[in-house]
Amino acid sequence: MDKIQKSTKTARGTVTCDNTTMHLLKANDFVAASIREKMTEKNILLINITSSAGSGKTTLLQETARRIGGKVNMKVLVGDLETERDADRIRETGVDALQIVTGGICHLEAQMVWQAMENLNLEGVELLIIENVGNLVCPASFDLGEDYRVTLIATTEGDDKPKKYPRMFLTSEMMLVSKVDLLEHLPFSVEAVVADARDVNPNIKVLEVSSTKNMGIDAWCEWLLEKVKEKQNTKKEVTA
Amino acid sequence: MHEISLVRSIFNTLESEFSKKELDTMTAINLRVGLLSNVEPLLMQNAFDAVTTAEEKYQGVKLQVELVPIEIHCNDCQSSSIVENYKFVCASCGKPNNNVVKGTELLIHQVHFDS
Repeated sequence: MDKIQKSTKTARGTVTCDNTTMHLLKANDFVAASIREKMTEKNILLINITSSAGSGKTTLLQETARRIGGKVNMKVLVGDLETERDADRIRETGVDALQIVTGGICHLEAQMVWQAMENLNLEGVELLIIENVGNLVCPASFDLGEDYRVTLIATTEGDDKPKKYPRMFLTSEMMLVSKVDLLEHLPFSVEAVVADARDVNPNIKVLEVSSTKNMGIDAWCEWLLEKVKEKQNTKKEVTA
Repeated sequence: MHEISLVRSIFNTLESEFSKKELDTMTAINLRVGLLSNVEPLLMQNAFDAVTTAEEKYQGVKLQVELVPIEIHCNDCQSSSIVENYKFVCASCGKPNNNVVKGTELLIHQVHFDS
């Protein structure tokens, strides 16, 4: 049966719906598209960082801010259920950060990011990093308008996580294996986690990092800077 | 994930699409949820029952949840296949592939009215 024409006829019997109108995450995806448009207009590279709680997202961002905070104009939005703690930790490095307190919600939605952006001066900003709520489940389903999603997995977790949480790894551009300085003490296999992740997403890029022991951070920062440059160049092509 | 808020989202979506008069005659809602949507059908059912009871509306409306498998389309050999055990390879040519065409949806597929 056809989709009902609103107000011209009364719904009877079985109504089969148009997939686009009855998509339950429609509102989120609409706002995400607006964010993407705004970021393209302003040439800001938007990165969405996800992981389980405790994988080292904030520590990585602190180190990233120390390294490249002086080279690119960057800001951070950080989501947590409660407290300003993570934003405070980022600000200690001299980079501007804004905390999004979700008040118990297990993921960031595009609407929260949009509202936070309205309280952030984006003039001249080249790189905006969103640190999502620590959770590999729900954040996977919510597009925030990002250019790239980057997922951390710490060596203190199980190396079989990519297949347990497939959507997150499927939608990520890069997997950062964090806390690699602890590898010798743990049963974690980098080879196994990479194989598991590539089963789900054959194109996923992988970097091994340790934020506290300065391992792999150069490669991570280089990747970020290269992507910032690409985003800046899109503007020139458009305006030329 | 957050099934309660999804149930509210179902009601909001229906209320923006149909009139109150129409919704008074609603008997069943069919959802299509992809395996990658992180929605658990049983929890969805429980959340639906909890919300309809607590808010005293749409009581008696049946919720049917249909799980949609993950389907990928291979641009090399132009064939579509179902992903088993989250191994994203083309079943036809064996190449790695994550061009997902089905399996992420979270849709109201059909609404049944008693009239």
